[in-house]
Amino acid sequence: MTGSERTVARSVTYLAVMLAVFVGVLMALPEPVPPPGAADAALPEVSFAIVGVKVFDGKAFRPEQDVWIEDGRIRRVGEELDLPEDLPRVDGSGRTLTPGLIDGHVHTWGSTLNDAVRFGVTTVLDQFMDPELAASKRPAREDLARTDEADLYSAGMLATAAGGHGTQYSQFVPVQALDRPDQAPAWVRARKAEGSDWIKIVYEDGSAYGLRFASLERDTVGALVAAAHDEGLRAVVHVSTLQHALDAMALGADGLVHVWGDELVDPAQAVRMGEAGVFVVPTLSVSVSMAGDAMDRELLSDAGEAPVSSMQRQTLASRFAGGDAEKASGAGDRAMENARRLHAAGVRLLAGTDAPNPGTASGLSMHGELRLLRRAGLSSAEALAAATSIPAEIFGLDDRGRIDEGRIADLVFVDGDLEQDLSRSTRIVAIWKDGYRVERSIEEEQAPAASPAPEATMISDFEDGVGAAFGAGWQAASDRMQGGSSTASLTARQGALRVEGEVVASGSGFPWSGAIYFPGEQPMQPVDFSDREALRFRTRGDGRTYTVMLFVADSAAAIPAAVPFTATPDWIEVEIPLARFPTATPGIVGGLAFVALAPPAGAYAFEIDDVEIR
Amino acid sequence: MPPTSDGARPLGLSGRACIYVLEARGQFLTVARTPGFTIPTLVFPLMFYVFFGVVMGFSPAAPTFLLATYGVFGLIGPSLFGFGVGLATERDSGALLLKQTTPMPVGAYLLSRVVTALLFGMVIVVGLFLLGAYAAEVRLYRWQWFALAGVVLSSVIPFCSLGLAIGAWVRAQSAVAIVNLVYLPMAFLSGLWIPISLLPSFFRDVAVVFPAYHQSQLALKVVALDEGGSAGVHVLMVGIFTVVFLAVAVAGFRRVGSR
Repeated sequence: MTGSERTVARSVTYLAVMLAVFVGVLMALPEPVPPPGAADAALPEVSFAIVGVKVFDGKAFRPEQDVWIEDGRIRRVGEELDLPEDLPRVDGSGRTLTPGLIDGHVHTWGSTLNDAVRFGVTTVLDQFMDPELAASKRPAREDLARTDEADLYSAGMLATAAGGHGTQYSQFVPVQALDRPDQAPAWVRARKAEGSDWIKIVYEDGSAYGLRFASLERDTVGALVAAAHDEGLRAVVHVSTLQHALDAMALGADGLVHVWGDELVDPAQAVRMGEAGVFVVPTLSVSVSMAGDAMDRELLSDAGEAPVSSMQRQTLASRFAGGDAEKASGAGDRAMENARRLHAAGVRLLAGTDAPNPGTASGLSMHGELRLLRRAGLSSAEALAAATSIPAEIFGLDDRGRIDEGRIADLVFVDGDLEQDLSRSTRIVAIWKDGYRVERSIEEEQAPAASPAPEATMISDFEDGVGAAFGAGWQAASDRMQGGSSTASLTARQGALRVEGEVVASGSGFPWSGAIYFPGEQPMQPVDFSDREALRFRTRGDGRTYTVMLFVADSAAAIPAAVPFTATPDWIEVEIPLARFPTATPGIVGGLAFVALAPPAGAYAFEIDDVEIR
Repeated sequence: MPPTSDGARPLGLSGRACIYVLEARGQFLTVARTPGFTIPTLVFPLMFYVFFGVVMGFSPAAPTFLLATYGVFGLIGPSLFGFGVGLATERDSGALLLKQTTPMPVGAYLLSRVVTALLFGMVIVVGLFLLGAYAAEVRLYRWQWFALAGVVLSSVIPFCSLGLAIGAWVRAQSAVAIVNLVYLPMAFLSGLWIPISLLPSFFRDVAVVFPAYHQSQLALKVVALDEGGSAGVHVLMVGIFTVVFLAVAVAGFRRVGSR
């Protein structure tokens, strides 16, 4: 061997060693903890103990606790309990046990109650839903039977003005509007008779979003608060401006169910709110979503292997439509700062998500809300208290919200130390509801039976009027369906469909107007276009931006999936891949609407032609 | 090689392999003994990662996200400097001319620099991954660790080409400045330091013109934190950049050769 050959041999050896070390390191790097289920399937329920676990008891963290659960309730909590020999035990080392979470602001429909409990939200405080549905769900909260849904407390129907915020959902949820103070006592009595657990009042003129909504007058809000108190019910108020928040406080409201982003609260005002005992559910999850910073990717990523339902995926992927984007962006930061100032001034904050609004998901978003509360300056313990003991105290739920003797065994068992890092709250090992293990997997509901798509791809070329090759055809449509006063009309002219009308911003919470097409034999009957690629059409118009909304007749799709397009003065072709509509089952279409949204309000006109799903 | 009797024979296969290895060894040792190079290229990505990924952490996904982007950032340094600065310096000092008079194939010269960049890249990857795993609790499946390492190391392809293009055109005195002028703004504008989604939307539109953006999106795809673009398009863009850079480099060598 020559000298250089030795050098070569040595170099090659070094290189091989380096490669081996490199591969060795990669092999040794830690992998995600296997998802709960396989290894933990044997976890006990009903009567058992979790030993040596870090407990968040609703107020504070306590290390090395034993928690003894008997018949679905917590029997004892303490260090090194004297437990029966035969009691099944779960090792809690390296893990945290918290009370089941209480989401202070949700809306209930579709799969939300199951979605909630699968992510550790064992109780929800619903701030507006169908009163009949609420009545059917309330009894479950009274017993300790096995359930796959979160317990429900609800305001039921909300109080709002005719055409005001909340009425945009009136095709799904009935709303009995009111507009005079003297109607308040009867309205509140009707809610009490329906079973409302408290009264929710909407005080919202849209100004924070650059819109104008019909709103209850200040004196009507006051009359509703007084009537609620006369009936022994709490009154909470939806506000989106500082002025309305201060008004609501002055009128004696018990709580505000959003934080506002229009103006910053000054510290003296915040202190007054604290002294008045008003609580606030900041719903930062929707504040960031409106500001264009929805937490969907972060939350889906952190959900890990835990199954996420189609409704959760869809609402996370959705975005708020309409509203003034510039106003919204600063509003998110101001909302966060207001939450920070309110907390600093001693106002009690409750964790609430406003799920399943666009950009949020029932259950999953509660973990995002905890992170947002941390960002607003709450400690891990304070944020968790806002999601457990504080809502329980405020809403008089004495049987839950704490890990304490006699309380219901609604428990969330998390890998890691939440005191150190609250963002680990999604690393759920197990959830117990009433002492029973919550099944985290989903039997996904069957998609509504969609009829197969016809052979033809062309829907309408409008050569012979406003007809369609298949389906129930075209209709003019507007927010009049929800009590608004926008107008729309359709005419076939020169082989194209002319859509014109006026979007009236003052009439409805979600002003819109345009044309809707139903591909099925009946309106909203779904048709399966999943083997097709895209919606294609030609358009021209006044240069404004319009929106294609895709409706699915699924209960989960109450918020339509929307994609914008611009109608330029010259004809252009627009092609939108069906996959761009964030629906649970891409390609299933119940209705397609080509609409103008406010802002801007006012008259509009555009034409569409050669509408095709290909 | 020492002047032995076999110096007159045409090189056999093993002799050729020896040249490749020796040149790579020489290049690696030269670079490794240049603290002005090794310290910034090894320390900067790790230091940034500690600051932004471990200590600050703008979101729970940050440690994972930055593992991918600082990995790509880490590879740009050795790739660009090895070729951009190294080549220009050797050309201007005459060392390149000297090497050209030896029987060493030009491939050995190029490969030695790629291998050196890769070896430095492996050190950076190991450092970042260990920090991510043990200081920031990043947990990835084994295939993800390997795939991420692979995508990060593959950054040598576009960035060595870019370095070659720079080195072929600029003089030694200006090479460091030019490389830095490309290196740092490109890293920032491609979202390697701060996620592009946190920057104003203008930056998103600009980012697509940088190979580092496409390379980092490929790395982020491994951990499902990319912006959602098609992997095929990113690969294609990286390929186009590489071909363009190589063409620019060839044009640069022709110009130098005819002077």
